[in-house]
Amino acid sequence: MPGLRRLTFLWILWLSIGRAIPAPAQEQALAQEQAPAEGEPAAEARWFDPDRLDVLIPTLIFAGLLLAFVASARRGTRLFVRRIPGLDAIDEAIGRATEMGKPVLYLPGLDEMDQPGTVASMNILGQVAEKAAAYETRVTVPNRDPMVMSVAQDVVRTAYGRAGRPDLYREEDVYYVTYSQFGYAAAVSGLMLRQRPAANFFIGHFFAEALVMAETGQSTGAIQIAGTDSDAQLPFFITSCDYTLIGEELYAASVYLSGEPLLLGSLKAQDAAKLLIIVYVVIGVVAAFLNLKLDFWTGQGG
Amino acid sequence: MSLGARLARVDRRLIFLLMTLAVAGPILIPIKLPIIVSKEVEDFYREIEALSPGDHVLLAIDYEPDVMAELSPMSEAVLDRLFAKDTKIVALTLYPGGVGIAQGLLEEAAARHGKTYGEDYVFLGYNPDYSGTMLRLGESIKATYPTDQFGRDTRDLPILRDCDAYRDLSLLVSICGSQLSEFWAAYAGGRYGQRMVSGNTAVQAILIYPFYQSGQIKGFLGGLKGAAEYETRIQRPGQGVRGMGSQTAGHVVIVLLVLVGNAGYLAARRRRA
Amino acid sequence: MLQRSLPIFFAGLVGIFMAVQYFVLHPGMARIYNLVLDWKQVVFACTLMLGVFSLIRFHWRKIARRTADAFYSLVVVISCSITVLAAAVFGTETGPYTWLYDRVQAPMQATMFSLLAYFVASASYRAFRARSVHATLLLLAGAVVMLGRVPTGDLIGFELHGQRVSLASIAAWILDTPNLAAKRGILIGVGLGMISTSLRIILGIERAYLGLSRGTGADI
Repeated sequence: MPGLRRLTFLWILWLSIGRAIPAPAQEQALAQEQAPAEGEPAAEARWFDPDRLDVLIPTLIFAGLLLAFVASARRGTRLFVRRIPGLDAIDEAIGRATEMGKPVLYLPGLDEMDQPGTVASMNILGQVAEKAAAYETRVTVPNRDPMVMSVAQDVVRTAYGRAGRPDLYREEDVYYVTYSQFGYAAAVSGLMLRQRPAANFFIGHFFAEALVMAETGQSTGAIQIAGTDSDAQLPFFITSCDYTLIGEELYAASVYLSGEPLLLGSLKAQDAAKLLIIVYVVIGVVAAFLNLKLDFWTGQGG
Repeated sequence: MSLGARLARVDRRLIFLLMTLAVAGPILIPIKLPIIVSKEVEDFYREIEALSPGDHVLLAIDYEPDVMAELSPMSEAVLDRLFAKDTKIVALTLYPGGVGIAQGLLEEAAARHGKTYGEDYVFLGYNPDYSGTMLRLGESIKATYPTDQFGRDTRDLPILRDCDAYRDLSLLVSICGSQLSEFWAAYAGGRYGQRMVSGNTAVQAILIYPFYQSGQIKGFLGGLKGAAEYETRIQRPGQGVRGMGSQTAGHVVIVLLVLVGNAGYLAARRRRA
Repeated sequence: MLQRSLPIFFAGLVGIFMAVQYFVLHPGMARIYNLVLDWKQVVFACTLMLGVFSLIRFHWRKIARRTADAFYSLVVVISCSITVLAAAVFGTETGPYTWLYDRVQAPMQATMFSLLAYFVASASYRAFRARSVHATLLLLAGAVVMLGRVPTGDLIGFELHGQRVSLASIAAWILDTPNLAAKRGILIGVGLGMISTSLRIILGIERAYLGLSRGTGADI
């Protein structure tokens, strides 16, 4: 739908420009609203809010770690990341679907495109689609969010192209279902019961509908692999799926599969940051035991 | 097939039937159970009781009909309490399906307490993009919602005359069936220092504990039991208390099924050995 | 080339601005920040339109080709049309639209959610087996929390050194201590993952949101 996307983009641009230029009456109302009340001094304009120092320092530390590891990766330093066991199951699942002549069902989660779980899911979708295309296995991707659908279509099309099989890509295989959470679950459950995919992937952020879909898939005998950062749904996936990537393993898996050194560098930076947090927690526990105060740097007074 | 093997492989249709009987039975034959108020509900209660007449409260009714059975009892109880304390309620929803629910709850509670729309409460309606809305409310409620759910200009509503951002709100109450309470804590609480309490489904309530323990969320109601505890605390038994019979029976059946399954599994394993 | 580099540049610019404005207390910054938030809402609302068109197109093709599921697609298209017409002609406050919401959508959504009760029961029965020490501990914790989180949990207990120890208090301890510790650990990890992903998007390293996922760099 390139024409429709172009039209949507132009409409977004038009509305955004409209929002940026307020009407004179609106401008006056806004100014009145933001003006200080009678007797109150005007709000001070400061270039730095000292109350947010406790956010700035850790952010700078983490950003520094990320840049350092990414720079190290760019220089060609080999960064070791241990293999995540659930990843072997992905190859097995696609192979099984190919043998049975059945499609692969990939669910990218119910969250929006700006969430890291969905970004990680798109990375993994690219790998899964490329492998499936090489085996000439169909990949179906029903979506709950229209923006995610748009990105998923590009990801799958690119992946099929990389596998040398752009002819196999069908736009109707990556489609929008409904924004309704349980409407989506009902549609996916129906799809599982009718098409009987041999492999189901639940990769992304899920909510209460997770168990409905996972149990339905389990009843069809499909091999199921889940990867989610929604910890409320983890127990349900663990009971219904053959393999589950837990929390951060989802982000790590997407980086590991890409093999991209810069992404691996960011993963190492995460690990380094976690180590620093562990050290700080241990220091905090010891300090609490010795009744020492360590929050002098937060700027928020105790 | 041995008894052990049979116990380990109960037909799922029988499981479904047992669950149906367990949940439906107490609805037809009500069971009265004692309810003890937990600490997190007591803290929730205290936050609401600390409000004074005329205080503005932001009530976010962020759920759809799917979790209505679990969350509407607490929403009704909270609304009744807020209206009884003569607080001003600024309500909104971040789910499109939540509009009908929120509107119905507000109108019914307002009718019970003789409250006037526009003066005692307002329903701002649904806004897409939850994170943008949560952040924007910290700058200006009227700019985020130029009109309310019924198309009225928010600048003309008496209730919003002196209330335009989180700094003008005494409390944020998030009733939600998803992670939105955590986002409220991060965006409204973390960035703007908004004091908040929440009501969540039992599954989501488990995730609220870290925020509760760190003080970001001052108190919360967890699931139907949380609603029942709050109803008991404010001496207004409602759907929450009535639902405890079914919930208890359902949980007991699940535990018994797990025990039966394990008995069969262990018996079969011993037989194989 | 421009189609790829312009979105990356724009994403980086807006990302840096949103990070910087958090620390700056200046009215000018606040005006631009509010504008960006407005744009965010505009984009979201417009993408819903994309989704609706994709939905109608997907189902219309199935109807036109008379595929096996064409009947279901016909139901979708007719239901969509009736709901939109009901809202457009009669409004959303009363009338057929409200009737459809109260009598059709709400009960259907509630029904779907109710299925979870059955699925939890069957999944628990199937999965909670004492296969190992860890599985047994999980099973016991699950049973205690299930019984502790209902009124009967307060009734089952005993007195110990003047204090009542009930299933409810044990369940509360499980949720307050080991569960909290694990959740906090996962939260910190997920939080770091979020920061890392955001920084990667700002720096232009992460491009999955543009549909530019990378090739297979490692064996799967």
